[in-house]
Parts: sequence; C-alpha cells; structure tokens
Amino acid sequence: MSELKYIDLKQCILEDNDNVANEIRSLSKEKKFFVWNIMSSPGAGKTTFILSVIKRLMDRFRIGVIEGDIESTVDAQKMQALGIPTVQLRTGGDCHLDAAMIKKAMENLPLDKLDIVIIENIGNLVCPAEFDLGADLPSMLLSVPEGDDKALKYPLMFTVCKALIITKIDCLSMFDFDFEALQINVKKLNADLKLFPVSAKNGAGMEQFCKFLEEIVNEKIQLLI
Amino acid sequence: MHELPITKSIFKTVIAKAESVEAQHISLVALQIGVLRDYIPEIMQKYWDYIAKGSIAEGAKIEIEEIPVTVQCNDCQTIYDVDMSNIEKTRCPNCGCQQGNVVTGREMRIVGIEID
Repeated sequence: MSELKYIDLKQCILEDNDNVANEIRSLSKEKKFFVWNIMSSPGAGKTTFILSVIKRLMDRFRIGVIEGDIESTVDAQKMQALGIPTVQLRTGGDCHLDAAMIKKAMENLPLDKLDIVIIENIGNLVCPAEFDLGADLPSMLLSVPEGDDKALKYPLMFTVCKALIITKIDCLSMFDFDFEALQINVKKLNADLKLFPVSAKNGAGMEQFCKFLEEIVNEKIQLLI
Repeated sequence: MHELPITKSIFKTVIAKAESVEAQHISLVALQIGVLRDYIPEIMQKYWDYIAKGSIAEGAKIEIEEIPVTVQCNDCQTIYDVDMSNIEKTRCPNCGCQQGNVVTGREMRIVGIEID
C-alpha cells in the first residue's frame, strides 16, 4: 500500500465565488455604479420596499435591478412597469445567488448608463449570507411579523450586512416586536450595523433611508469621478 | 441543507489539487469552520459521501475543526469569547459594553488533504 501524504491547502472554501465578487467590485468602480444587495426571508417585503425606494430616487439616479427568484418573473414585471432595466435570474431551486450569476446578469444591464444596481436576492436568511456578491451595501430586511428574535436564530446574516431595514412598522401594534432587544442583540456581533425602521406602505422612515442611500451612492460615484 | 453547495465547492477544490499531484486516493479532508456558519459535520459527511461516490475521494473522512466565535469590544477593544447559545447575556468581560464586531467564527477554510 502506498504511503499517506498530507497536503496543505489553507484555502477559503468559497475562493472561486470571492474572486468573482472582487471582479464585480472592480467592474463597479470602472463603470462607476453602486451595488446594493438586499436579502431577507420570503415575504419580508423586499419587492414592495425596492419599488418604494426606486420611485423616490429614480429622478436622481439611473437604477437597474437584478431579480433573483427560484421561479416566476412577477417581481421583474413590476420593476419593468416602472421603466427600470431589469434582469430576471431564475435559479430553478438554488436557494441563493452567487457572484458568477450576478456577473453574468450584469452583462445584460446597460452598466455605462446606471448609477445603482439593486440585487433582490432569493428569500432565505441562511445561504445568501454565505455568498459575497461584491456589493457596496449588503443589507437585510426584517419584517415586524417575523419577530425581533431573528438575530439570535440567524446570526451570520446579521454580521455580513451593513444596513438592517425593519419593514412593515405600520403593523407594530399587532405584534410584540421589541426594537430595543433587536438593537442590543444585533450590535453584539455587528456594532456598525445601521438600523432603519420603515413602512413602504405608509412611507414612514422611507425618507431617512433614502437619504442614507443617496449619500453613500454619491460618495462612491463622486470618489470615482 | 445549506451544507450542500459548500460541500460541492470543497469537492471541486480538493479533487483539482489531488489530481495536480497525481494522487490515487483522498482519505481525509481537514476543514476549519466557524461556529457562525452553523454547519452540521454529520450532514457535510453525508453530502460528501454522495458527491464523492465513484471518484478518488470516495470514502474520505471530513474532519472539521470548529472555530469559536470571538468578538472585539467596540469600547475597550478587548477580544472575548461568545457563547452563541447564551448571546443575550453576552457583554464585554472587561468593561460591560454590549457592542462588538466579530473577529473569529466565520471561517470556511480547507486546511489540507491526506492522499495516497
């Protein structure tokens, strides 16, 4: 029997994905656009929130959207109805988007004419957190009906995001959602996380969030001019 | 369930490495996985056994070293361990601050492989 031999690899498991994510970062610098990745569980209100942000910012920024869904094109149709260039990715069962899918989708967007590319990730709080998409703003939506304890149950997601948007605050009176407990728990692992309570339905908090987004988009684009 | 794409990715990497050195068989794959990844070793082994069937990595043992979660305090910069099952009670042992940033616990590394 031949001798056993040990080979050192010391390699990140998702190195292939991370390399493509870095290519997306370079591409977004070269073409001067901002990449915003939006993750949440199914039904947290991603599409409604994105549509609300687009309506508020589309007179100031040129926006494109990459829609990730396991099946269907309903979300992409809503974006296209606003005249927004949209690419639909159907993963056919995969529960997350990876950097290679995003890079390919970007080939079908007019990147030279865009300021912001929004990625609506697959509804899932586990796998999307594992795949770096090269976004400037990885963010998460948590809806009031889901409960404030999600940070304890899906901690990785809360550590990879820069912004946490709490949606559906118009129905706070119907749920025991503890903002303070959420804030304390998320900051234990991610002190820099910014929290934005919003209701896309009645508009509460939307101006504050859009102002924040506008500032960081301008910061990136102007740095590159 | 979320172990599947990761296990596939590990398989691809180690097969390429083993083939590049003309290995006949892979007997062990050593990994370092952070606790925040929430991977279940038994499930990774099960996926591995399925993916590696018929390849030079069939029957390889997946050995996982779990890397605990540590956090750096936002106020005094002390680095301390976090027990994820008791995170609600966690605070900096030095100054009592409840805000910090993850230092370790998100690792996903292939340390090495044993071949013959």
